[in-house]
Amino acid sequence: VAISLEAPTETRTVNLTIDGVEVEVTEGTTIWTAAKAAGIEIPVLCHDERYDPVGVCRVCAVDVGGRVYAAACVRPCEDGMEVKTATDDLERHRATLTALLLADQPPPERDPKETTTADNELLVLARRYNVKRENGLPVGQGRGVDYSNPVIAVDHDACILCDRCVRACDDIQGNDVIGRSGKGYTTRIAFDLNDPMGDSSCVTCGECVAACPTGALTNKPIRDVPIRPRSQLRQVDSVCPYCGVGCALTYHVDDERHAISFAEGRPQPGSKSRLCVKGRYGWDYAASPQRLAVPLIRREESYPKGPLSGDVRGEGRGRRKPGGLVDYDEVLPHFREATWEEALDLVASRLKGIHAEHGSGAIAGFGSAKCSNEEAYLFQKLIRAGFGTNNVDHCTRLCHASSVAALFEGVGSGAVSTTYGDIINADVAILAGTNTTANHPVASSFFKQARRRGTTLIVVDPRRERIADHADIYCQIKPGTDVAFYNGVLHEIIARDLVDHEFVATRATNYEALVELLQQYPPERAAQICGVDADTIREVARLWGEAGAAVVYWGMGISQHTTGTDNARCLIALCTITGNVGKQGTGLHPLRGQNNVQGASDAGLIPMFYPDYQKVDSSTVWTRFEEAWGRELDHERGLTVTEIIGSVLHGGVRGMYMMGENPFLSDPNINKVRKALAALDFLVVQDIFLTETAEFADVVLPATSYLEKEGTYTNTDRRVQIGRKVLEAPGQAREDWRVVCEIANRIGLPMDYESPREVFDEMVGLMQNYAGLNYDNLGPMGKLYPNPDPEGSDGTVVLFGESFGTEDGKAHLVPAEWMPARELPNDDYPFVLNTGRLLEHWHTGSMTRRSFALDAIQPEAHVFLNPGDAADMGIAEGDFARITSRRGSIELRAKLSHRDTPGTCFIPFHFREAAANVLTIDEIDPFGKIPEFKFCSVRVERAGPPEPGGNGAEPR
Amino acid sequence: MAVAPGAEARAGRFPGPSLIPKLIAIQREHGWLPREELVALSRDMRRPLYEIEGLISFYPHFRTDPPPRVELHVCHDLSCWLQGTEERIAAIRARYGDDAEIELREVSCLGRCDLAPALAVDERPGRMADLDALLAGTPAETEARRPEEPWPNDPYAEGDERYRVLRRALAGDLQRDAVIAVLNDAELRGMGGAGFPTGKKWELVAQQQATPKYAICNADESEPGTFKDRQILAEQPHLVLEGLLLGMWVTGAEEGWIFIRHEYGPEEAVLRSELDGLRAVGLVGPGRELEIFTSPGGYILGEESALIECMEGHRGEPRNKPPFPGVYGLWGRPTLMNSVETLADVPVILDRGADWWKAQGVNGATGLKFFAVSGHVERPGVYCVPMGTTARELLERAGGMAGGAELQAFQPGGASSNFLGPEDLDVALDFKPVAERGSMLGSGALVAVAEGTDLLAAATNVLRFFRNESCGKCVPCRVGSHKAHAMLTEAIGADSGVQPIEEELTQLEATLRMTSICGLGQVALGPVASVLGLQRGGTAARPQPRSQP
Repeated sequence: VAISLEAPTETRTVNLTIDGVEVEVTEGTTIWTAAKAAGIEIPVLCHDERYDPVGVCRVCAVDVGGRVYAAACVRPCEDGMEVKTATDDLERHRATLTALLLADQPPPERDPKETTTADNELLVLARRYNVKRENGLPVGQGRGVDYSNPVIAVDHDACILCDRCVRACDDIQGNDVIGRSGKGYTTRIAFDLNDPMGDSSCVTCGECVAACPTGALTNKPIRDVPIRPRSQLRQVDSVCPYCGVGCALTYHVDDERHAISFAEGRPQPGSKSRLCVKGRYGWDYAASPQRLAVPLIRREESYPKGPLSGDVRGEGRGRRKPGGLVDYDEVLPHFREATWEEALDLVASRLKGIHAEHGSGAIAGFGSAKCSNEEAYLFQKLIRAGFGTNNVDHCTRLCHASSVAALFEGVGSGAVSTTYGDIINADVAILAGTNTTANHPVASSFFKQARRRGTTLIVVDPRRERIADHADIYCQIKPGTDVAFYNGVLHEIIARDLVDHEFVATRATNYEALVELLQQYPPERAAQICGVDADTIREVARLWGEAGAAVVYWGMGISQHTTGTDNARCLIALCTITGNVGKQGTGLHPLRGQNNVQGASDAGLIPMFYPDYQKVDSSTVWTRFEEAWGRELDHERGLTVTEIIGSVLHGGVRGMYMMGENPFLSDPNINKVRKALAALDFLVVQDIFLTETAEFADVVLPATSYLEKEGTYTNTDRRVQIGRKVLEAPGQAREDWRVVCEIANRIGLPMDYESPREVFDEMVGLMQNYAGLNYDNLGPMGKLYPNPDPEGSDGTVVLFGESFGTEDGKAHLVPAEWMPARELPNDDYPFVLNTGRLLEHWHTGSMTRRSFALDAIQPEAHVFLNPGDAADMGIAEGDFARITSRRGSIELRAKLSHRDTPGTCFIPFHFREAAANVLTIDEIDPFGKIPEFKFCSVRVERAGPPEPGGNGAEPR
Repeated sequence: MAVAPGAEARAGRFPGPSLIPKLIAIQREHGWLPREELVALSRDMRRPLYEIEGLISFYPHFRTDPPPRVELHVCHDLSCWLQGTEERIAAIRARYGDDAEIELREVSCLGRCDLAPALAVDERPGRMADLDALLAGTPAETEARRPEEPWPNDPYAEGDERYRVLRRALAGDLQRDAVIAVLNDAELRGMGGAGFPTGKKWELVAQQQATPKYAICNADESEPGTFKDRQILAEQPHLVLEGLLLGMWVTGAEEGWIFIRHEYGPEEAVLRSELDGLRAVGLVGPGRELEIFTSPGGYILGEESALIECMEGHRGEPRNKPPFPGVYGLWGRPTLMNSVETLADVPVILDRGADWWKAQGVNGATGLKFFAVSGHVERPGVYCVPMGTTARELLERAGGMAGGAELQAFQPGGASSNFLGPEDLDVALDFKPVAERGSMLGSGALVAVAEGTDLLAAATNVLRFFRNESCGKCVPCRVGSHKAHAMLTEAIGADSGVQPIEEELTQLEATLRMTSICGLGQVALGPVASVLGLQRGGTAARPQPRSQP
């Protein structure tokens, strides 16, 4: 089926012969495809089944009896056709075409592909036809190379203009960067306006490299690990460690060098072999020399605790610290190396001591959405069964806690009701508050593709993100006005009577209350609040209401507000009153941020639920878990991430265990976090690097990275996949799950597991939704849960076909009144600050900033300002700007961006030297307890010109 | 939108309205295309930068640096080459080469082969002799030689009310089926080169269910030696437009276009004024729109699917066929496309009947035929003769060989047609007889080459044209035309003869002919191969074209 085109609806068949073989195929089938089905291979260069055919290389020319030959890859079969695929004449032409292309190629011994992966498809043909480069044809003069991208090499000599990269960039990834430039023999592939690849809008997803049949687009070695033929490397099928999309990939491992040589996408029903820059090129952080390899104990003289580096103490300007990660030379001397025994004993005794002295409530643990399901499960079991408290949480609190709160209340399940790929079946899709091209790049590729196949795409976001360029309708709401916008849409849907009354009557409750509240939100009023004109609101309502199938995907623009739960309630109402849940192409999908934020939540790494969202304050539930774990449990909900920080400051929580979390950068108002961390009696930090949080630690435990352990991870689609061990851990670093077990055993909670597989089995036994899954049936593709037939089925795509997960099985509509954000701009702080992520970076940057590719592409923090605002303030591209909120001030370079509206600015939060969370407000949503990362007021001033010779000052 | 089987991937063709008019507007405002304007266009239109790059680097009309005061374009293709353009260019270069304000560019055929060697100053065409006047701003006399008598294909005598046939059609006095039948009876075939039966084409488009439909007059003749349509456009715009409007009426197309090459500025002005007249009297208007699309440049756009690609705002790269434009044309809709001459023949056929038309031909042929005659002839120009007239007779109409020279070879149908020798002069100029001789009627352009001319160099000149005008889409044409030209240039330069490369050239000719996507690549090496054949002592050595499917 064509990628960029609609699937043919006709099913007529045609009969023809190919090399004398009679074949019957569906009308529209190409000769190449029909021949392949008949076991006849026709050579190709430009064609690849991943893409729609273009018929430009002509190597697949076949004789159909016409005046000239036809390109088999694109020519449809016709009734009565007699196709010949391999006559002497055809083979002569193929040899000639090969010779023509070969004449301009670099010699094989210098060919970028032949000397790396050695799978140059042109050279395969050259050998088949016995054609040499010196074949009598004049040799090409050289078309140039482009090494401007840090990880992709372009060799125009090796390019045969097959247009595979063009199609890969457009049709697969929807990035629209590569095209043909010039005409005739001088034609070359070009990026943007024929710019160097590294300066272009290319996002380095590497799909073009995966597409290229020759040495024109190849991967450069990372950290000097040479790229070699696959047969000389060991293949490990695993899953990408970054975002919640959970793309399947294969690492090609060089065992001589104990390093990854390169990574490739792998077919899996969700990600379909696609990757983004992080997945394809961002794995070398694990090889960083800064990896922690020995347990560390804080030296006596480094007490009382406080930040150890000048940066964190707030001395000096960020710009003096290019690179920006924790300065090991400054921090490491405050710790001494210890044996695992000593460190673990110390951790166990101190935590036990605090527990004994101050009770269960004095202990808290932050797990991580980057660790596996098994590790999340064991960690929460340790905190709950070992210390008798539900004070266990993780960074889900900072991303989708409000979404989950609304979903539990509304539909009785925090998981997505359909997959990202199901958008292809939707007539209309709303993308709400999601910078999906940066944060879920591969999911966004499916969104863009669906739009090109006919799905109407509506993007709602105050920031004009890249995905807005692909929207049919882009609604640029004012920050913090989501509820008003969606209420306006809902009002209009009701006013036009586009409501699915039967669905509402049989499957929802509280509709009347919703209708009553919505009376106050005619589109005109909504428009007044949200800034999108009333006609557009009406059009969105009409499109959504009239759609046969409509789906909504949302991100942190919905959830990270003090009204985050209300925002999500509106989306639930939108789907429910129009019957857009529970069938193909419909539903609710909060796009999960971390690779395992879904799984960590599923496994109970949240203070209000045991595994599988079983309420901690339900007696039947706690009885079940007390029986399973053999311990008396806390029957009250625990504290959330933000509440724990507050509790520390008031002397509540005194001892903390942090497994892979770095709240110092990720939490709002980090000056407050800093005070809290310093105030802890005892802090153990388990991580792979010395993080900002570790500066406050008493004990630092070296963990294994994702690449050095096995475990399962659950992606945004509810797909449970196995991440496999790729490399050996450095030094004495240990798997997180083993460390948890060691501590548990030392505090008297026996944990005796042989492997993650065993943990998984115990966990699944307590989780109805995961029932039936095990390491064997997860297989190479993983499985969606729930899955009634894990041996035979990929799992359930669409949930709630019959009933919802609520106790009465119905969707509960909750009317939401619009409320303004907590900290509105005024004369002193006239700008609205929005925070978020960049494509190349991950959370606090501890992984991505140690990745060669990702750091090379985005080495530095920027504040994004509207060009008009910047001009008013005299700030030029690359100048330093000082951004000040009521909580703190940072300085960083300005980037002028048409994506930001006047009066707003955007800062990614990855960079400690200009930490956005110095500025953010720690006001939280009352239900989800999620902080308002997307809205606080700030002042913007010019702080100085770009440093002479400073890096990153040039506009990209 | 339903996609016809065989339609290829968009591969760089971005959906949405064409950016070409916007790029033309930017260039009109600034004289060139400043980068920041292009970036803003990309942002405002939400279209990728690469798409803009693809267009501005493909179409010669666009420039990415500020223009000089004077743009001087000199044609270097066959008809001008035969008249010594190379020496003239060298002379101009010597005279103006240091003048930074004058940008001299050698360009492909300007369609002024009767003025050879032709040039254009800021797109105002003229002869070499007119250069000083043109530089001084005086327009040159560019009209081609006019016949003493009225053109025989014009049913309207001086003072007649024109568009009589169209009015009858619109009044309901004609039946669509009957019109198609008359065209079929008249055996009118496409005069742009391919010779597809016109009635059949109209019938095919009329039968299509999909709407809207489009009709396009292909006024993009750009092949060296070819300028007959230019004359028709200048003198018979009423016949062209009437033919097109009749085509629209028969096929049900609500929107018609005349796609004209940008070098035909004076002719376009004539056409526009004719069109204004039609609008004024209501023959063109809502429900029957007709517009002119000025080509941003390039011979390849004369290929019908490349022309459609250009109109859709893409790089003018021919499509794989099928599907053909009649089924899947502009914007994927059924599209009728005919050449200028074909359309200009329609009114007289419908007015006087198929029998009258058929009776116009001689030597077993039917109808009339326009020929552009250039090269070493006494009176280069456009001649309308009975189809079937022999090459010898046509040459005589043009005054015979210039200065009484001996004919060495001639191309009967433009640059893409194989060279024939003096022994072929009695061939009847009609589709079949010329094809049987191993050449083709092509674009109706006879180029005569006198004895004493290096025929291999002439053929190499033709090849250079095709190499330069290759769109670059498919491998055989893009690389093959380049390599073959390089080999020939080297052989000519070294005076080593073609013997050592003949085998390679022959194989390349076959590969280009059999595997290229479009006609350009398929014929690019034909003239060279035909010269090799002539040098071997006859045309029989040339590969015979395979019969039409």
